[in-house]
Amino acid sequence: MIKFWKKRLEGSVLTENLEVDSELEKIKKELKNTITKKFAGSLAIRMVDSGSCNACEAECNALSNPYYDLERLGIYFVASPRHADVMLLSGVMTLNMLPHAKDAYEQMSSPKWVITLGDCTSEKCPIKNSFAIAGKIDESFRVAYHIKGCPPEPKDIVLGLLDFLRSRR
Amino acid sequence: MRLIARFAKDKKTHFEVITVYDKKTDVEVVEKANPMVQSIAKRFPTAIWFERKIYDDFGIKMEGSFDERPLLHQERFPRNIHPMLKGFKEKNLELGETLAYNYEKIDGDGIFEVSVGPIHAGIIEAGHFQFSQAGEDILHLEVRHFYKYRGIEKSLEGLSLKEARPIIERISGNESIAYQIALLDIQMQASHGSLPLTVQKRNALLLEFERVIHHVTDLGFIANDAGFAPALTIGSKLSEDARRWMKKLTNSRFGFGAITLEITPIELDSFTLYLDALKKEIEWFERWIIDIPSLWDRFDTTGILSIRKTIKYGTVGVVARASGRVLDRRLNQFYSDHGFIMAGANSGDVAARFLVRIDEIKNSLLMMRNFLDNEKEEVLYEHLYDGEYNSFVESSLGELFMHIELKEGKIERFFVRDPSFINWQALHVMMDGNIIADFPLINKSCDLSYAGNDL
Repeated sequence: MIKFWKKRLEGSVLTENLEVDSELEKIKKELKNTITKKFAGSLAIRMVDSGSCNACEAECNALSNPYYDLERLGIYFVASPRHADVMLLSGVMTLNMLPHAKDAYEQMSSPKWVITLGDCTSEKCPIKNSFAIAGKIDESFRVAYHIKGCPPEPKDIVLGLLDFLRSRR
Repeated sequence: MRLIARFAKDKKTHFEVITVYDKKTDVEVVEKANPMVQSIAKRFPTAIWFERKIYDDFGIKMEGSFDERPLLHQERFPRNIHPMLKGFKEKNLELGETLAYNYEKIDGDGIFEVSVGPIHAGIIEAGHFQFSQAGEDILHLEVRHFYKYRGIEKSLEGLSLKEARPIIERISGNESIAYQIALLDIQMQASHGSLPLTVQKRNALLLEFERVIHHVTDLGFIANDAGFAPALTIGSKLSEDARRWMKKLTNSRFGFGAITLEITPIELDSFTLYLDALKKEIEWFERWIIDIPSLWDRFDTTGILSIRKTIKYGTVGVVARASGRVLDRRLNQFYSDHGFIMAGANSGDVAARFLVRIDEIKNSLLMMRNFLDNEKEEVLYEHLYDGEYNSFVESSLGELFMHIELKEGKIERFFVRDPSFINWQALHVMMDGNIIADFPLINKSCDLSYAGNDL
């Protein structure tokens, strides 16, 4: 492990080193404040993939890398819907996943919100008219917010979450 | 002989069941009245998912099959429909009544079952694992997928290759470049043309870059699943750097829309510097991680897939190469001219799959330097000829097989066999003698796609 600590000491903190614009820094601060005020310090997200290509999941995983380090803003991806404030839905809603996604939503305690992630959850979805897809997501869930992109980049997801938080009263 | 794929076609007057092996292709003509063919699953165990899928898709029965449960059509999926029949036109299906699925299980005193999924605790795709447990020991695992079954094969029918492209490149986000290369290959075959060397090199560059991104991400996650988080910090950092470069090269962090006949110039100098820096990082990573005994304690002898089982199940990709099998679609003149050396190991355990990934990253970086080129060459093609075309590409997960039949310039039948479709079926074999706490580690060491598998 000495090699590791040597490397750590030689390197610097990446989260500061990032070529981020000051805008993102400001947004991150704002995000942290909003979460502290409106969600008692933390926003818990349960991610549910209902038929994505895995790119949206990869980008959500990227949110924990040293560049974004989402958790320091008080936003957590949690292991159970019972711990979650928000269900983050990615991908088309397949017939096979619909009952399970509904199940997960019912397990969440109120107040709860559904945020859809990526173009597959909107009318921009490239797969049209498939028998295996259970229609539009907003027919089955009340969607509070949509984050667009294919896939939305980590920065877009952070911005989207902030915008969602702003819209809560 | 290795089974690559088995799939069917609705030819209006009859069905065709096509079986693709590495050395030959069989086509069986099947009557429409009471359609039935001989199952080959006793000789080729991975045929079973193909055959269950053929029944769900077309209603063709398998004589002598040992497993006739539905595969794609789950508990609430509408019953008695076979959507891949040409006559099936419905778009809006409603969920049906629940029909229970009988999981494979082992009975006995004190043996219990553990159900995991389809929604997992992390940020992972949807799929289900059913364990039969004796305490910590895994006695049996059934992998049950197709929760993400989007009906992609059917929704591509009737589209031109151009219209189909945005969907095909999004079948599996981690392998987008590989899928695009297979599609372009089929497009070139159908135009009776061939790709100039410059375009081949650019495509190969991006394919190797996709492999590097996939593998560095895995190096972090595999170690993390053994409780060693620092590796994830480094792996995810390297993966983010690489995705940002992918965006510079292709305008998408996943290379969506990247594979074209055009060559977009890239900044050779800065990209070369980046590749050199990444090479140094990987070499450092290897020296560092090889020295963590507690990690190798978890990796060594965990999740072994023997060479015998590798051959029996016909596994592909890293999973096959780490078990001593010489199998890689890049074993050809073009790749060896650019420095390809197949990575491999013999122990077939998590450690072997981890080390093969490191070796592949190093080799891919070397090849990428040889593929770097901004030279342009014009490709002309005017007409796509009807016919049946096959393409094979070594994606980051293994051998990808794509089949497209064109009729009047439109897709008559689209079939793709993701490498994961084979490897998922061999996963339960690796559980022998392991404890359930090692399942995530073994699973991650294979890193299989759910989206590509489910279609």
